[in-house]
Amino acid sequence: MRFGLILLGIIGICSVVGSVIPQGETVAFYAKKYQQLHGYILLLGLNDMFHGWFFISVSALLCLNLTLCSLVRIRSVVRSAKTEQSRAAALPNEQTLTARGQDLLRSELERRHCRKTEIGGVTLYSKNSFGRYGTFIVHLSILLTVIFGVAALSLPTVTDQSCFPGEALTMADGTRIYVDSFHIEDTEGKLDYASVISITLPNGRSSEKTEIRVNYPLSFGGCKVYQQTYGTAGSITVRNMETGGEDTFTLTEYALLSMDGQNGIWYEALYPGYIRDPDGNFTLITSTSGHYDDPVYQVLVSQDGTFTPVLAFPGDVLEVAGVSYEFNAPVEYPGLRIKQSPMLLNALLIASFTLMIVGLYLSFFLQPILVKLDADGYATAGGKREGLQLDLAVLLSGETVPSSPEIQKPQNETEETNPC
Amino acid sequence: MLNVLFFGSLVLFFAALCLEFASLSFKKETLGKLAWYGFLGGFAALTMYLVARGVIAQRFPLSNQFEFGAAFAWGIALMLIVLRLRLKAEWLSAVAMPMTFLVLSYAALQPREITELMPALRSAWFVFHIGSAVFSYSSFVLAGCVGVRYLLLSRKGDADELKLHQMDYLSYRLVALGFLLLTVVILTGAIWAEQAWSSFWTWDPKEVWALITWILYAVYLHLRLNRKHSGAKMAWFVIIAVSVVLFTFVGVNTLMPGLHSYG
Ligand code: HEM
Repeated sequence: MRFGLILLGIIGICSVVGSVIPQGETVAFYAKKYQQLHGYILLLGLNDMFHGWFFISVSALLCLNLTLCSLVRIRSVVRSAKTEQSRAAALPNEQTLTARGQDLLRSELERRHCRKTEIGGVTLYSKNSFGRYGTFIVHLSILLTVIFGVAALSLPTVTDQSCFPGEALTMADGTRIYVDSFHIEDTEGKLDYASVISITLPNGRSSEKTEIRVNYPLSFGGCKVYQQTYGTAGSITVRNMETGGEDTFTLTEYALLSMDGQNGIWYEALYPGYIRDPDGNFTLITSTSGHYDDPVYQVLVSQDGTFTPVLAFPGDVLEVAGVSYEFNAPVEYPGLRIKQSPMLLNALLIASFTLMIVGLYLSFFLQPILVKLDADGYATAGGKREGLQLDLAVLLSGETVPSSPEIQKPQNETEETNPC
Repeated sequence: MLNVLFFGSLVLFFAALCLEFASLSFKKETLGKLAWYGFLGGFAALTMYLVARGVIAQRFPLSNQFEFGAAFAWGIALMLIVLRLRLKAEWLSAVAMPMTFLVLSYAALQPREITELMPALRSAWFVFHIGSAVFSYSSFVLAGCVGVRYLLLSRKGDADELKLHQMDYLSYRLVALGFLLLTVVILTGAIWAEQAWSSFWTWDPKEVWALITWILYAVYLHLRLNRKHSGAKMAWFVIIAVSVVLFTFVGVNTLMPGLHSYG
């Protein structure tokens, strides 16, 4: 156990260091912040503590220690469970009791719904014997959590991509994610950032169209799609006035829209709103809470080698060299995170979590009770009997025969307590 | 009205702890009783405050430092009441009452306005994750309070061994409860993180400090299996460990901004 505790302590100390020293920054950052010390920080890998060889080795060693310890312990726990009752029956009494004390003890154990067994003239009261496996279950679950956790952190591929409503993304393995629509506010005007999407797997199977929001991703056949971020893009319809042909472009960055590569408009930016002073001057609003209340396009009109800056509003149309440029309402689009991972992994990890909670509950709240009672007095057995011994000491105070030994704490590391 | 309830509870908790100290100093039981009623009054006012806030906000009031702090103080108070009623642990009040007041005072220093739950927090995990943190932290704080009482009592030459042993065991049980709940906090947090951010674990400062706190109490639980490690040593352990719990709550939020920096 000592070795395991030392390893736990080292992991704790590494975690403190890893939380105090900012992780994953650039060399220049450490040089500026820690000056001469930064060399040591980089040398010892303190800038990436949790992925460094030292942290990983100590964690792996702890897992090994846990495995070996648990294997050794579980054998003796199972073995001792088989003979526990007969061994308890043969225990010498801890306390000698008066007749009233005996009655008190009996009724207390019955009140606690203990099972009663008679063995060779003594009565055994027992309860919660399954609780003895709690510690083993906890340690096993920690091990499984680490194994599945490492897999769940390293196996998935995660990609962040934007996609305009009405368009689809195709992943490297052929999985297709179609974005049907996106909105920033719900029908009551509350911010909720939701996309309606569907996933089509490489084998052709498709999910239903489903709304995804933060905390509510869509998971389908090993592909999980998260509503991650959002953006607002400009939308401009370009029309050839001679032929009547037209196309609509959704724009997020600096771009030239032109038929001949020279005359046309340079899209520069889209602003969420503006303030107009009494003289007619515009101040463009750059900060946004998500919604573009009074959108303004900032463009450069390029004609015959001259460039003229222009502010345009949705509905405006500019004509440049026989081509019309119509400014549409901005398009809101989602930034999606696509996570592809083996399907079973999450389920296995969550099963390990559940096992850990069950194990802890068994360890702490289903503590086994085993009491031997004969005509003279009683003895308690089992590893975690401290609470029971204390309760009985209080209950039976004044009802014990004086020469009896004092109440004792359970022996150091008996079978049911786990030293790992 | 809401402010009256909140500050009313703060004042009642303060009055209760003053009366409790007066009762101990002057050995007057009536003052002790008054302190207890004052404390119950403070608890009732805080309960009403949290319920009213929850009703107005239409969600559990657990979404920022103020709400968490108020719920944390409420959790300590509730546990003290349960312990006093079930185990007749009157001796715990002198330490637990000041802790309740301190935690609530910390909450009082935070912005109190009721805000709509931000989209990132609208999840079924919200109440499990944060609710178990409230009770986990409260258990650890009360375990620390028991530790303080243990040390004070053990200094007296004529201390009752059985009583000391009961305190030592109570402190252990509170740590066990807190540990189980902290495990729930971490695991539900991990599941939530996967739903919200796509990864079960991101080494965010709050995650790291929750893990450090978890490791610390795991060490306590293991050390205590050994007979050599009980009594005063372990009482010191639980007292010092409370500072780590408080750092995870207050220090991380104020000094190490990360993904948990809401509100
Ligand atoms: C492995 C992942 C996580 C761990 C280990 C973790 C840990 C904790 C702990 C220990 C607390 C206790 C209160 C405190 O100290 O402030 C807490 C509170 C909280 N957690 Fe998490 N958490 C995780 C994931 C999440 C996620 C995914 C969210 C939401 C998107 C979240 C939202 C909150 C909120 C709102 C609080 C209470 C408010 C506050 O004190 O700031 N947590 N978490």
